[in-house]
Amino acid sequence: MKPESLRMLRRLARTTTLYIVVTGLAVIILTPVFLLVSLSFMSDLEAYNEWPMPLMPAAGIAFRVEATEAGYVLSVRKVDGSFQSLIEGTDAEAMAAFARRKTNCGLTAGELRQAMSEAPREWSPQREWLANYRTFFQVSPGAYAALWRSVYVALVTIGLSLTIGGLAGYAFARYRFVGRKGLKLGVLFVRMFPGVSIAIPMVIILGSIGLYDRPLGLALVYAVGQIGLTVWITASIFLGIPRELEEAAHVFGASAVGAFWHVTLPLALPGLAASAMYAFIASWNETIQALVLTQFNPTFPVVVYQALLDSRSMVHLAAAGSVVMALPAVIFTFLIRRYMVSMWGGVNV
Amino acid sequence: MPDLNLRNISKRYGRDSWALHPIDLTARDGEFLVLLGPSGCGKSTTIRIIAGLVEPTSGTVHVGDREITDLPPRKRRLSMVFQNYAVWPHMTVYDNVAFPLRLQKRPKTEIDRMVREMTELVAIEHLLTRRPDQLSGGQRQRVALARALAVEPEVFLMDEPLSNLDAKLRGQMRTELRAIHQRTGATTVFVTHDQAEAMSLADRIVVMHEGRIIQVGTPEEIYSRSASRFVAAFIGSPPANFFVVQVRGGKLVHNAFTVELPASWQSAAAGQEGRELELAVRPEDLLPTHESDAHLSRAISVVEPQGSHQIVAFMLGKEMVKAIAPASPRLAPGAVVHLRFRLEHLMLFDSRTGERVEP
Repeated sequence: MKPESLRMLRRLARTTTLYIVVTGLAVIILTPVFLLVSLSFMSDLEAYNEWPMPLMPAAGIAFRVEATEAGYVLSVRKVDGSFQSLIEGTDAEAMAAFARRKTNCGLTAGELRQAMSEAPREWSPQREWLANYRTFFQVSPGAYAALWRSVYVALVTIGLSLTIGGLAGYAFARYRFVGRKGLKLGVLFVRMFPGVSIAIPMVIILGSIGLYDRPLGLALVYAVGQIGLTVWITASIFLGIPRELEEAAHVFGASAVGAFWHVTLPLALPGLAASAMYAFIASWNETIQALVLTQFNPTFPVVVYQALLDSRSMVHLAAAGSVVMALPAVIFTFLIRRYMVSMWGGVNV
Repeated sequence: MPDLNLRNISKRYGRDSWALHPIDLTARDGEFLVLLGPSGCGKSTTIRIIAGLVEPTSGTVHVGDREITDLPPRKRRLSMVFQNYAVWPHMTVYDNVAFPLRLQKRPKTEIDRMVREMTELVAIEHLLTRRPDQLSGGQRQRVALARALAVEPEVFLMDEPLSNLDAKLRGQMRTELRAIHQRTGATTVFVTHDQAEAMSLADRIVVMHEGRIIQVGTPEEIYSRSASRFVAAFIGSPPANFFVVQVRGGKLVHNAFTVELPASWQSAAAGQEGRELELAVRPEDLLPTHESDAHLSRAISVVEPQGSHQIVAFMLGKEMVKAIAPASPRLAPGAVVHLRFRLEHLMLFDSRTGERVEP
């Protein structure tokens, strides 16, 4: 073989291998996400009555209604095409309600009565895609309030950890002082303790300052853990910003605060964005401490957690709750992603 | 414009680590003053004290009658060009130049006029909307320069502004800096470790070494009447040749040669009789000559052709000596060269203290 074609072949093999590896990783990462989202849109029937469980909810629904001695029987089409009887009776009101709950469709009593009069008949009503989401919020008490509480806790956590941690990071990067190294390690000390083990003293402390079962109290606890990480991220970012840039601002008329605001802060934005993202995700996902530190005012993960454990609720509803919980983290990361890559030459995360 | 005055300025770190021993220094109105010295000599500390970025341990800084020693940098009415340009990477060229003016709350139209005028002066008016990461090093330095010019400072500070540029660009910027200075007439303090840069830019040079000022003078004075062995060795390229000689009866005696001192030196030589001195001879003062006239004849070890001239190097004992010869005839390694000292330019230094011996 000619050397050039050999080289081409080798290059081809290399790219192919790379694509296989990348695709494999993507599949591994995306499979659980896909299963979760898919499950959150499935009807009760699809989630519980099919074997094997379908990978995706069916695009449409087909009903069949037939007259029997006892009245009418309503059947629904399964994935394999056969019809399975769903309910039998004469009360269109009750039968439609049962069908709606089982199949996530918008079947009304009037529609069913109409079909009964023309029985036997087959038809396909519209599927209600968001039925599980609606049901989740209906059956989980206080889920809406918990969602907003979670947003509040996350924002306060970000605010606190970014201001305190960011300024501390700046101090670590710019000033030499006694105990600097020890202190920098010290801020990581609080992260050593697992949330569960530190939860009891936190209950006592928050209780004594009147913040037990309050979102603010929870945010304080999260912020303390988050500050250490923020300090480390921002300190390395501030170290990467040449001191000369600040000195130039000083010489050219800026005060200390002005130089920080106009020069240092915009340059540190990637690091601050990364810290904000970590703080958001940590606060948003945290369940165990929230479980202990709240009683009547839980955050959203606690609600989802309880939905998962509750034997009465069902897995497709819990999946809907989980997607609602995952979505803000995805959106938040997506929104700040452009700040996280290096925006200007020379300053990288 | 007012003079810049430093009185008794020093900087000490910790208990007794002196970055700068107490110095007095004046940059006169419109003067281009260059602080020259090797790294760690205190020149950067000095300029940073003037800028207000470093707090002096002792002393005062005045601009005219105004004492600025304890003022924050922003109130000193001076501007600075930094070694790494220090142009703000998140601002466009326009904003980099305009930002200081905006901080001064100047009217918008005036800012716009000033930015355009100054960027034109340094030939970057076509780059106004670019970000620094889209510029070359030379262009960035021009942005820094335009920014420093735009604020119309009382004193201009430049901390090794050319050291990050490549050799050709450095030469070009040097010429432009000189031209801009002639146009603006701003009192300028310029820090460099490059003696050629200092020679070509300065009205006066301040040679610094180990936190002390060794000599202040015009480039000519520094070059031909160096105050110490250190200055003589630091200035000039190739550097001066040094020979340890003994004064004996109006002559300088080295174990390879003997030279008669000129008449102007005779009285001084009488006082130094029998002492060991160091003779400094610059390469261009070692002239190729006929064998009969020569103070020194040696076989050439290396020839460096330079186009306009050639540098000839040979060994004298363990020392390498360099001389400058005309471009022709072409000399070759191994050939014997006969050299004569041009004695009107000779410099003598105390071999113990390194201090200059005056004629």
